[in-house]
Amino acid sequence: MRDTTQPLPFVPATRAVFDLSLEGMIWSRRSLLMGLLVALPAVLAVVYRVVLASGTPARGLAPLDLYALVVAVFWIRNVLPLAALFHATSLVADEVEGRTLTYLLTRPITRPAILAGKFAAYLVTSLAVALPAAVLTFFLLASARGWSGVGAAVPDLFRDLGVMALSLVAYGALFTLMGVLLKRPVIPGLLFLFGWELLANLPGYLPRLTLTTWLRSLIRHRPAEEGLSQLFAQVQPVGWSLTVLFVASAVFLAAAAFIFTQREYVLEQ
Amino acid sequence: MSRSRLVLFASMSVVVLGVLAGLGALWMDPARAAVGPLPGEALVLPADTRFVMGIDAKRVVASPFWARYGSERSMRPQAWRQLEEMTGLDPARDVDQIVVAGSGTATSRTPPLVLAVGRFDPDRIAQTLQTSGKATLRDVGGVRVYEFAGPSPSASRTQTLAMALLDRRTVVLGPPDGVEATVRHRAAGESPLQQNKGLLGLVERVRPGSSFWMVGDQTLLASLPNTFSGPGTGGSGDMGPSMNLPTLKAVTVTADLDPEVSLAIVGEAIDDPSATKLADVVRGFVALATLQARQKPELQRLGSAISVATEANRVLLNARLPYELIDSLRAMAMTSSAGATDEGSPAEEAAKPK
Repeated sequence: MRDTTQPLPFVPATRAVFDLSLEGMIWSRRSLLMGLLVALPAVLAVVYRVVLASGTPARGLAPLDLYALVVAVFWIRNVLPLAALFHATSLVADEVEGRTLTYLLTRPITRPAILAGKFAAYLVTSLAVALPAAVLTFFLLASARGWSGVGAAVPDLFRDLGVMALSLVAYGALFTLMGVLLKRPVIPGLLFLFGWELLANLPGYLPRLTLTTWLRSLIRHRPAEEGLSQLFAQVQPVGWSLTVLFVASAVFLAAAAFIFTQREYVLEQ
Repeated sequence: MSRSRLVLFASMSVVVLGVLAGLGALWMDPARAAVGPLPGEALVLPADTRFVMGIDAKRVVASPFWARYGSERSMRPQAWRQLEEMTGLDPARDVDQIVVAGSGTATSRTPPLVLAVGRFDPDRIAQTLQTSGKATLRDVGGVRVYEFAGPSPSASRTQTLAMALLDRRTVVLGPPDGVEATVRHRAAGESPLQQNKGLLGLVERVRPGSSFWMVGDQTLLASLPNTFSGPGTGGSGDMGPSMNLPTLKAVTVTADLDPEVSLAIVGEAIDDPSATKLADVVRGFVALATLQARQKPELQRLGSAISVATEANRVLLNARLPYELIDSLRAMAMTSSAGATDEGSPAEEAAKPK
């Protein structure tokens, strides 16, 4: 018999919140929109194959170069951080806005368990869209000129899947923190993504203050670029990149859990 | 099963199937070889090899590069031309891979060993060589080795080259002592190249499946000049102060030819500051080339075609050159060389009637 004066242990409580949040998160309009955006390269890859099959002379990017561009520029630099922003900042904000947070907080579960369950639901929802899109895009593009070169590129696919997952974790942790810290976190989040993260293109130590520098150091794709990013492109060691990203994610999540635990939510009537 | 679980299951199935298909493709990839892209047959090459170069003949022949420039003799690799001229083989038809292994310095004129893997008819090759009357035959451990006079890098003299058919899949061509040693290693079942751990370590890092790849170690690069003169500022053709380039420990080059020429060069410097310095020098050259290219509309894409980055002590240079750009660069080179020929020597200029 469970002691009803004590809250549920962390793991079962997290699992319960995860189950509850997942159902609402997967079928939300936000997930649908982000899913379409994340899966767009798979559609592009189909179009590429159709164009190639129609016998149009191949001009421009090679299939694997296009895949490299999609991974490095579209997913890692832009769309996955954006998906993390819209999902992770709303983990608690949606409950506040819908005035349903009270129902969660009055259950016998700890606040860190609520946050962990919701973060896990966000991560699973985002991965459920991003990873299949990456796999489909890779195979559609890598096999565009036959299967002979696919095997050689497969290690890159495995690496890309890992880095995509890590970028959702790292940006998700940061935006979860912003979500519990700020009342309107979307604008600061956008400023961070498309302002602060541009420091990655500057010389010296400044790029190390961005998440994108560490993330793009983990992938092997280096699409040719022009401008500042070309002049000062930096690639950090893999070991350092992994350490920084894991430590940063843990710190962001711990800070978010601490703030969420301490904060008093007064719901507007 | 709830709807959300169904979505998760479907998504997970796609990822798991993709990973399994990827592992299958990796396992069955024909490019999978003994060490990186190096075919197992090439491990009989000498242990003192300083650089190894590989050409995937099948990919080269299937590429737009071959369609555009295949008929031009000067655009074919030297090892390719040697195989064509000395053995009567058609690399485009008979050869799958060519491996070139050099043990000389970067400036030496010792020809490297060329090992070709493909499908060969020993009787036809023997007949071609014997009827030409230029080759002399001798027996090395039961393997027929043909010796003949081949062209030297210096056009004024010739040098003796040898060729041996190790089996129906492997031909080795090069200096007679190197070919003979390779034949003997093969007969003894030895793999001397495996002793060269440093070079094989570099080969392991090369991505299999490239049309062309090359690795060179420190012993090869140490003989390269590391000082060059900067341009003068006076405009009178005088040279400015000389500049020291950081020494490279190793260099790796990979290239693909379809649908455009993409080149990846990784140079490993002795430390991080050296890599940064070298990258800065390369960026300077790229910037100069870009500035010059902006004056010509057909070379506009040169600026965005090349990227330079550093990763600890490594300098990474990526270039993507569309064939139209290569055509423009070749046309420029031809024009300037024709201009230089037209100008002639100062003595000729003086002799011209005014």
